Amino acid sequence: MATNSIKLLTGNSHPDLAKLVADRLGIEQSQILSLQDSNHEISLTIGESVRDEDVFVLQSTRPGNVNDDLMELLIMIRACKDASARRITAVIPSYPYARQDKKDRSRAPITAKLVARMLEMAGVNHVITMDLHASQIQGFFNIPVDNLYAEPTSLTWIREHVNLDQAVIVSPDAGGVKRATSIAGRLDLPFAVIHKERTRPNEISRMTLTGEVSGKTAILIDDMADTCGTLCTAAEMLAEHGTTQVVSVVTHGILSGDAIKKLNACTALSRVVVTNTVPLLGKDAMCDKIALIDISPTLAEACRRTHNGESVSYLFSNAPPS
Amino acid sequence: MRRVKIFSGSSHPFLVEAICERLGASKAKVDLKKFSNGETSVSIETSIRDQDVFVVQSGSSNINDSIMELLILISACKSGSAKSITAVMPYFPYSRQSKKKSHRGAITASLVANLLSVAGIHHAITVDLHAPPTQGFFGKPVDNLHAEPLIARWIKTHVKGWQEAVVVSKNPGGTKRVTSLADALKLNFGLVTTARRRTAPHGSLENSMFLSGLNSSNHSLENTDTSPPNGTVTDGPRSPHRHPQRSPPQANGIGPTSVPYRHLNNNRELGSSPLTQSTRLESGSPPTTRLPPYNEPVTNGYAGALGLDEEKAEDEDDSGDEYTDERARDVITGRLIHGHIVDDDAPSPIPSTMSNSIATLPGEVMGHPQTDGLDPMTSSFMSTTSAFQPDHGLGGSVHDAAGQSDDEEAGFKNPELEHTITLVGNVRGKIVFIIDDLIDQCGSWIAAAETVVKRGDARKVYCIATHGIFGDDSLEQMEACDCIDHIVVTNTYPIAAERVKASRKLVILDVSNLLSEAIRRNHYGESISALFQHYLD
Repeated sequence: MATNSIKLLTGNSHPDLAKLVADRLGIEQSQILSLQDSNHEISLTIGESVRDEDVFVLQSTRPGNVNDDLMELLIMIRACKDASARRITAVIPSYPYARQDKKDRSRAPITAKLVARMLEMAGVNHVITMDLHASQIQGFFNIPVDNLYAEPTSLTWIREHVNLDQAVIVSPDAGGVKRATSIAGRLDLPFAVIHKERTRPNEISRMTLTGEVSGKTAILIDDMADTCGTLCTAAEMLAEHGTTQVVSVVTHGILSGDAIKKLNACTALSRVVVTNTVPLLGKDAMCDKIALIDISPTLAEACRRTHNGESVSYLFSNAPPS
Repeated sequence: MRRVKIFSGSSHPFLVEAICERLGASKAKVDLKKFSNGETSVSIETSIRDQDVFVVQSGSSNINDSIMELLILISACKSGSAKSITAVMPYFPYSRQSKKKSHRGAITASLVANLLSVAGIHHAITVDLHAPPTQGFFGKPVDNLHAEPLIARWIKTHVKGWQEAVVVSKNPGGTKRVTSLADALKLNFGLVTTARRRTAPHGSLENSMFLSGLNSSNHSLENTDTSPPNGTVTDGPRSPHRHPQRSPPQANGIGPTSVPYRHLNNNRELGSSPLTQSTRLESGSPPTTRLPPYNEPVTNGYAGALGLDEEKAEDEDDSGDEYTDERARDVITGRLIHGHIVDDDAPSPIPSTMSNSIATLPGEVMGHPQTDGLDPMTSSFMSTTSAFQPDHGLGGSVHDAAGQSDDEEAGFKNPELEHTITLVGNVRGKIVFIIDDLIDQCGSWIAAAETVVKRGDARKVYCIATHGIFGDDSLEQMEACDCIDHIVVTNTYPIAAERVKASRKLVILDVSNLLSEAIRRNHYGESISALFQHYLD
């Protein structure tokens, strides 16, 4: 007999987040055994029946293990499908390969689309994700996708921790202007933008700043911090233009490569605020500038609403009380 | 070749170079790298518009990265307007997960096949799929090439006295593969099979060892102890599995006579050893006439079991029957503890049969010891699992065994489990080829090799497989095993150069010829059936 409650499965990518979501929902995580061979082939078994259940599979991606985690997610979904689950919802707080979303050079693969089709092929019925790098990725799917925003939760943090009298919202690149203006509007703050010229991925060269920042606290808004090259250069540039301090608020703290080294070396940047969509894997202990925002209430609420057939749109502009 | 591009994934560049060299082509330019967050990046640096594209990717120690790289490469070729895209996978990843092994396990091989289709392949080429039905998972044509002709030719040219060798399968499911090679080389075949030992408390010499023969003086003995494996069996590979479960009654029959093992074995050798005769001469005779007349009294009390056996035997195809007539019953068993053959009087590792039967259940591994306080659902789960187990072992088809052989490996690692290992067929003084499709973990290989050497008195042991995956330090362990003389694999799967250098036993056969020919024929639209045939030399 189906229990008619949420079945929450999770892989090895982000057990902490899964625990938070499960606690928030007041449920136990479903038993799952996932093993890796010596050559990293994953073999997994779901430890309890999911027949005719509403299954939510939560999987983030560990920086450096993206492919393993993606395969694990696909295999979990497939295992649920093979085990006759009624509906399978993939909860992917940080969508993998989100930056490969267009044919930006000859014969480039649109890997974000490939991932979307792979998920569908594995048997997913619904996707819940957060702060997609490009919202168009939703269109790569032929199934419903809920793209949640960390913005309401981030706003709460900004209101609590930053003096808003003398603050300015800054977008470190032209692509993020929309995200930054939205926050600036909600906080009723002025806005500035840094334009950067990118030559190769993960490397940046020239930058120009538009907007008034001197004497203010700059709040850098972006969707992800990967190698942190952008953030650090932007922060230094803002400092040169006379900001009193620079705080960075990003959703996905991937922090790969020598990101931690760069952050520690960058004196201009006083805080880096990331959410827990991506596991930090102990990096916060190596850098005291990192602060963590918990977005599990939003994810849990989205799961609950999806399960009960309620509207999710409330979550786009409001953070559930923590 | 014109209008063909061969792309190489990063997993096995040497194989691709060999393929390209044989085709007189060069690898198409592609830039493969990983972003610092672990995402794979592919950039194709040559035009592929309206060309036949072949993407070669094997496995590696990071198999998921290899898969993603292959998928992204295919996707990039598709968006680059290639005419056709063929995935060439010498080793098909996740091929061992071709069925629901456990409750709610995933059929990952099917998932991978679907992912390839989604990425945009038109055709797939692979070598020796673990379970040939995997071909059906693709909606696209699949060429499953065989390395067997290559292996057969190697044996013929490199093994002195191969005509007198015996081909041995290390699990019942691999029998098809083994009989096929035995057919090709016109050799006899044998079988090693393990069963978890269920009667640990009284597991001593009497019931752990069992020998029989058709011809010799212990003939009468068999009749009195009504042992099913000898008389009733029309189906050799299955019989050993019944054996351990029925051992207690047999023990009483044999116990008193208690002939030392070697002695018995010698006795039988003095008579005309059945396996030294050529089995092929009589292969045309119908199955019913193969039942020796003396069997009839034996069936008393086992009528049901016999009927079942015969029924099942009918289902087997001819090639199976051919080898499983009355000659294949030199049955030798041994005890296996910690993956090694032990003396018959060695102490049993644990006295409790209860923990024996549940030790490998998934539930327990997950940290929920399910010995007490079972809820109704769990116990039904358990009972079906354990009831399923013996049947599972009896299954004879290739894909059934896929799971079983893996379970065996898990069992070997469990120090609490004792296995009964059974050798069917006479290997005394002979060269033995132990054959399977892949070598990953080495437990079952070492156990089989020790069995044929220590129990069966084989002269020399070759471990032969198509895919040398060699997980963990299995190559080193096999290297250290005295019972294994040579390890023969093909280069479908990359093996680290330093491991190859360190191993004196390892022989690597080159499949690049096979793959390049398959690529060439596919491009020109020629038949590839010739690649399945054995070399005439």
